[in-house]
Amino acid sequence: MSRIAFSNLDLVLIKGLWILLLSPLAVSAQTVEGVVRSGGQPIAGASVRLADTVRGTSAGADGTYRLALPSEGPFRLTVSAVGYETTEVAGTAAVGEIVRLDIDMVQAQVQTDRVVVTATRSPKALEDVAVPTTVVDAETIRQQGALRLGDVLEDVPGLFVFDDHGGGVQVQGFASDYTLILLDGEPVIGRLAGTLDVDRLTVAGVDRIEVVEGPSSSLYGSEALAGVVNLVTAMPAPGTETAGARLRAGTFGETDLVAEAAVGRQRWAARAFVNRYGSDGYDLTPESFGPTVPSFTDWTGDFRSEVRLGASRLSLGTRMAVEDQTGGFARRESDGTQVPYIDTGRRVDWSVHPEWAVPLGDRFQLTTTLYGARYQTETRFRRQSDGDLLYSDDFDQRFGKAEAQVDALWSARHATILGAGITDERLAGDRYTPDAAGDAPNAQQVFAFAQHEWAPSRAWAVSASARFDAHSDYAARLTPKLSVLARPRDGLRLRASVGSGFKAPAFRQLYLAFTNAAAGYSVFGSTRLEEGVAELDAQGQLAQVFFDPALLGDIEAESSVAFNVGVAAELAPWLTVEAGGFWNEVRDLIEAQPVAQKTNGQSVFGYFNVNRIYTRGLDAQISMRPAGGLEVAGSYQFLQARDREIVDALADGGVFGRDLNGRDYRLSLSDYGGLFGRSPHAATLRTTLSRGDASAQLRGRWRSRYGFADFDGNRLANRDDEFVAGYAVFDLTLTNSWSTQAGRITAQAGVDNLFDVTRATLVPSMPGRTVFATLGLSF
Amino acid sequence: MNRIALLALAGVLTLSACDSTEVEPVPIPAQTADDIEADPATSFGPQGPVGNGLFTLFDLDTGQVVLSSSETDATARAADSTGTAWDIGFRATTIIFNNGISGPGSVRAQFLPTTPFAELTMAPADGYLADGENTCPAVQTPGGTFPGAPLVVCGGSDNGWYNYNPAANVVTPIPGNTIVFQTSEGDYGKLRVLSYYRGNPATPTENDTARYYTLEYVIQDDGTRDFQTTDN
Repeated sequence: MSRIAFSNLDLVLIKGLWILLLSPLAVSAQTVEGVVRSGGQPIAGASVRLADTVRGTSAGADGTYRLALPSEGPFRLTVSAVGYETTEVAGTAAVGEIVRLDIDMVQAQVQTDRVVVTATRSPKALEDVAVPTTVVDAETIRQQGALRLGDVLEDVPGLFVFDDHGGGVQVQGFASDYTLILLDGEPVIGRLAGTLDVDRLTVAGVDRIEVVEGPSSSLYGSEALAGVVNLVTAMPAPGTETAGARLRAGTFGETDLVAEAAVGRQRWAARAFVNRYGSDGYDLTPESFGPTVPSFTDWTGDFRSEVRLGASRLSLGTRMAVEDQTGGFARRESDGTQVPYIDTGRRVDWSVHPEWAVPLGDRFQLTTTLYGARYQTETRFRRQSDGDLLYSDDFDQRFGKAEAQVDALWSARHATILGAGITDERLAGDRYTPDAAGDAPNAQQVFAFAQHEWAPSRAWAVSASARFDAHSDYAARLTPKLSVLARPRDGLRLRASVGSGFKAPAFRQLYLAFTNAAAGYSVFGSTRLEEGVAELDAQGQLAQVFFDPALLGDIEAESSVAFNVGVAAELAPWLTVEAGGFWNEVRDLIEAQPVAQKTNGQSVFGYFNVNRIYTRGLDAQISMRPAGGLEVAGSYQFLQARDREIVDALADGGVFGRDLNGRDYRLSLSDYGGLFGRSPHAATLRTTLSRGDASAQLRGRWRSRYGFADFDGNRLANRDDEFVAGYAVFDLTLTNSWSTQAGRITAQAGVDNLFDVTRATLVPSMPGRTVFATLGLSF
Repeated sequence: MNRIALLALAGVLTLSACDSTEVEPVPIPAQTADDIEADPATSFGPQGPVGNGLFTLFDLDTGQVVLSSSETDATARAADSTGTAWDIGFRATTIIFNNGISGPGSVRAQFLPTTPFAELTMAPADGYLADGENTCPAVQTPGGTFPGAPLVVCGGSDNGWYNYNPAANVVTPIPGNTIVFQTSEGDYGKLRVLSYYRGNPATPTENDTARYYTLEYVIQDDGTRDFQTTDN
């Protein structure tokens, strides 16, 4: 959903909910009415208030307002709207007179209220959002020198980028499978073992990145269980023409080149960029063959445009990315020798996203979205000596979606969103072969969602939403959420939400039909299980079937119930503190379990809903502007992410550890390191010093130790050597820019991982200190 | 000064111990059996090891291998495996005792899942089984359960002495369990598995050679169930 397409409605939602007619007026003799405008355009939702009173109203979608005056004589109106300078106008009304007073507003130079779209699928001021939301804007991204999405997310309080088949983002203690990544509101597809590699996505061309923590499945459906990350782009303003190029070079042969251009006109706007990102990779274990991180080249091309046809807007977003990488590894052969192999990978993914937004009368807007995306990978392992192909895997995923959303603004107090859509998903590849009927794995889904926002008074706002998903291959489900925002006084906000999240079974859990020819076991996804077991049975391969797969119900999506609470207080104009807590109870986590035993003694596995986990935590943030040009922000998070089954076993006293001397000892709950890869404590710090166009930024992030493996056989991290020692990493970036006759020159230099912290092979994405320099030119 | 104080204290303690008419019992020293072959791979398929499919048979009283899994001669195997010289057998992750469905012997044993080896000071009086008499934990699936093979030490990851980590492709002994047994000679003993990999590496990886047991065990040869002794 495009933010631009909503700019009228947006303002109503933002302020209108708050500025209310607090006292219904009795028949009043004198009235003031008119239109609130800026540059000839009506400002919907502008607040019009009798100065120094609570009496007021808000402008309708066409900018008109009407306000009864309690007494005759002179009056003053205070008019405000998000993004505009607050103005005061004066008039005089005789008894019974209807005074016509049109108001012109000036766009604010500094937009104080940051607008976000992800939390409610509609534009809303950040401070009006009742769920934990973080925004990183383009300026922050620039000051940081971030190239990829992972560079941005690793500095967001409470988030971690964790290596597991690519850099995945952990939100509220969940593995990255549980966070939905959006590009302009539409899902980015393509996961490897559940991880959507956040370094796949360049942040070039991004206006801001919104991170919503806690479940948003009631609006977005599957995967939005832990959170949603949305890369939002923006169209250039009318009358602007910009172009620029930027080149960065750094350690390990890292290069990043961006060339971009944008044009804005009254009736249309367009922007495009091309990005080439590459690295020679690096090797943290020179004693073994093959790099730790392979060399790669990644190209991204992106084009977005928008046309205004009367009141409606037509937009198109397209993106294509291609990555080639080359690595290597040594494999132990049957005779015990280590033989080097070269592995090559190619990824091609693209997306097309047309959208049409049209107002339907004063109160409604219809947005129709089509979205198509494809993600293909090719993997090859070849023996270095003779090129002999050891392994080859192709994967091809296609995703299509059609969706319509109606935004209804009933009044300043009530706003509703209704949406419905269908998706179609198709898979092909070596592991996803056609079934017995010859059909390649494919899935269809229909969904509908609704959200109602109600602001009974200035101090309260309530939002309820729910979504229904019916999918061809797993059980249908209804996902609700309720959130409340309270503002007992200025500068103090309290929020609470309770909601459900879910994650659809992964492709392998639905569609895999795989028999390991050498080891002899078989694994079937839930849609293939019945057919697979029947086929093995018919071939006489089964010794024992533990139960009839036909009697199983549909596999369920993994689902959660989550609570989020928080408070934000502006203690002084230069000091803001926030604190929050979250609790997610997750059930029906899917695991492979044996279904039958084969005559060769091996098992046949199916996927079932078994496990339960919980994640809960507390976080706190402080941001300060203690002096001009100096900004300091810090955060701390406490996290517990645990498996219920293990917690129960520990409570029963039936779990032991084995220390390095071989002694077995009984474990208590306090010995439990939680789910692997989760640090119980984490903190971030960001200090920015700005002088004019120059800035220096120091960023730090610390995480306490986290479990990475089990060595003593109890399946959990409890012994010191099963943990990655905690670490703190600091990055420094210096930026300056100058206007010259040729255009604006931006120079940047930075050191990442200032103190050269490494965790050897345990954290392959942390190669130690790296440096970079960037030069950019823009017109 | 501290050292002198400690020495003095130690002296007092020693004297008082000597004065005492009762001798404090101490654990019987444990023995280890290193790198017992348990049908190690003779070849590798693309996905894993392939062995002979045979057991190594071990005598706990003498600490000797009676028959190695590498012995493939049928006559030699038949002669040994039908005897009662061996107490325990190993084939990959499977552990058998010479009794019941596994052999002609009279070894009795039981698996104590939540009793650490060092803390077991007295063998239980009863609860001993022969292979074939056990009821192994059912494999739980949402659609139903099924019984495991009825060995004293149940097979399967997390059912008996080990768990298998598919991510690391490593078999690890589960800490906190002990196997108690009475040999054919009537001696009580206890054992636990320390390692499944050759050389007992501290943190085995899939590159270590699997199917080599390192055992820690204690035999009480006076016929009692007491794993402590006052003999010094």
